[in-house]
Amino acid sequence: MSLPVGALPLEAAPIPAFVALFAPAVAALVLAAAPALRRRGAPASWVTLTASLLATAAAVTLLVTQLREGGSHVWMASWLQINGAGVGDFGVRLDGVSATMLLVVCVVATCVQVFSLGYMHDEKPPAFGRYFAYHALFLFSMNLLVLAPDLLQLFAGWELVGATSYLLIGFYYQKPSAGQAALKAFWITKLADMGFLMALMVLYKTTGTFRWDAAVTAATATTVSGLLFFAVVGKSAQFPLHIWLPDAMEGPTPVSALLHAATMVAAGVFLIVRANPLFAHAPATRDVMLLVGSGTALFAACLALVQTDIKKVLAYSTCSQLGYMVAALGAGSVFGGFFHLATHAFFKALLFLAAGSVIHAVHSNELADMGGLRRRMPVTATTFIIGAMSLAGIPGLAGFFSKDLVLASVEGRYGWVPFGALMATAFLTAFYMGRVVFLAFFGEARGHAGHAHESGGSLLVPLLVLTVPSVALGWVAAPLAHLSGATYELHLVGVVPILAASLGLGGFALAWVVYGRGTLVVSALAPLERLVATRAVNRVYEVGYRRVLLVVADVLGWIDRYLIDGLMNFLGWSAVAGGRALRRVQTGNAQDYVFAVVLGAIALAAWGLLP
Amino acid sequence: MTLSTSILLAAAMFSVGVYGLLTRRHAVAILLSVELMANAANLSFVAFSHFRGGATGQLFALFALAITVAEVAVGLALVLLLYRTYGDTRTDAAKELRG
Repeated sequence: MSLPVGALPLEAAPIPAFVALFAPAVAALVLAAAPALRRRGAPASWVTLTASLLATAAAVTLLVTQLREGGSHVWMASWLQINGAGVGDFGVRLDGVSATMLLVVCVVATCVQVFSLGYMHDEKPPAFGRYFAYHALFLFSMNLLVLAPDLLQLFAGWELVGATSYLLIGFYYQKPSAGQAALKAFWITKLADMGFLMALMVLYKTTGTFRWDAAVTAATATTVSGLLFFAVVGKSAQFPLHIWLPDAMEGPTPVSALLHAATMVAAGVFLIVRANPLFAHAPATRDVMLLVGSGTALFAACLALVQTDIKKVLAYSTCSQLGYMVAALGAGSVFGGFFHLATHAFFKALLFLAAGSVIHAVHSNELADMGGLRRRMPVTATTFIIGAMSLAGIPGLAGFFSKDLVLASVEGRYGWVPFGALMATAFLTAFYMGRVVFLAFFGEARGHAGHAHESGGSLLVPLLVLTVPSVALGWVAAPLAHLSGATYELHLVGVVPILAASLGLGGFALAWVVYGRGTLVVSALAPLERLVATRAVNRVYEVGYRRVLLVVADVLGWIDRYLIDGLMNFLGWSAVAGGRALRRVQTGNAQDYVFAVVLGAIALAAWGLLP
Repeated sequence: MTLSTSILLAAAMFSVGVYGLLTRRHAVAILLSVELMANAANLSFVAFSHFRGGATGQLFALFALAITVAEVAVGLALVLLLYRTYGDTRTDAAKELRG
């Protein structure tokens, strides 16, 4: 067996890597194979939670090892060989990026699962068990993706997280809207995944491997990276394929926190970080990424301004922040994108879980049913506000550092247009987060909010745990950068950080004036609300589907039915008709056959006698 | 008697055999016709052997006669089975291969 250059045999890989990968896999298999256990509910949650804690411990061990020893290691075993060369490899790649990402995924997943213990408590035991079985499968898939040594294994994890996303969005399958949202998410990401599949084909055709560091020509790099970016646009909800993410909020709130904010949607960004050797050779793709990313950031931030559903605000905010990451990667700052991914994973998971705590208390997603919750739910309110400030880039908190890095990376590109868009987004982000904070936690209680009370321990502990990295992660940027092979210098004094910080504070201040004190009505938002109400992008898809796709499908269907099937049917019919005509010859009377033999003999004789 | 008259006789016997084979419906009569055709061939073997010299043709005729005996035994067994199956010895009865 020949392994790629620099790869070690799989059995030599460190034990924690196997634990991180297979503890959730075993949990998922056990829960899938033992329905009796799964349907009892609570035991299933303990199986999944044990696996997640083991995986987290393993991830901590791996990160510590990585911090101490550094370097990049690949362990592989091939499961498909062509001419003695491994084509399909299964393996583990450990370096600064994957070790960091693994820890982020495991910590957020564990927090979300603990939160779910309380949040999903009212579900019937079978549904509760099913929920935790999906979570175990998700964690395995995500770790498979994170530890992937090549694009093929990453693709396997990519598809598996897509499948678990579908299962978890449609968790409340009795609700038609949840089923539709799950299908929509599945189809749109699947459409984008075709890009990934084609990228794999092109890469294998030209280089004979699925490795992202294969030597490629500039043209191949552009093609492959472009196709991969198409997949990223779908997975990471970039314009114009972002439309599935707001609908995905139909899933349970902890799912939104884990899959549709912190980890799965960030897999697209992670893919670009991983495949950076390819993207580095494709300046054209990176230019597109810069424009799409900054455009999505601004566009989604505008949509977030007028959402009335607290989860939808956060969903559009996720689109917007993913746009930041994509823009940073497009500008060539790999660490900027990756660092924002890590900080965003923590503070957005925190925001979603805090929102879940609120929803759990007031039994509504609508901001109109909240208000004044600061006094009734002090812990939830405090953690949500910290998360919001981190997201808005208030100095000192994690979001400030990563956002600063992103903004600095796009400085001066394309006549400052992406920079301007991202700066405007920073302001809008602070404004819409301020709006949520002031509408939900300040002012007078509306609806059931007057009867709300603080959530229990299993909901609050994850919030408190996630608050720590949301605040402090920025201060360890330098060692993280060093792990990823980049350098980071903290610069607090400069045009970019001061401008970003003042825009963030300004956004909050404006939100306070508008929604806190109510002394100013922003009439500019009214047309935006009307614009959002038209659901323009969705309408484009609907019209495109009905007017274009269905018509093309009808034409192709007609050709298939009448021309291609017609030809085949004619061939079949002619064989049947020919047989029907020829069967008359077969009388079954032995003497008729003899007569044919005699005729044949005479014919042969006549032929022989001819000159 | 010359070679040509012998061959003509053999040809006539063969033709009568073919005619019988094609026209008779009774299985035994068909067997008889087949015998006639076989013996026409034997006759021409013997005739060639007699007028051209050499014993090979006559040996062949004897050999063929022996085989014909076996063939008749098989043929009569078939006739018997035909009768047992269809209660009739006419070949029209067995038409199951009709398409």
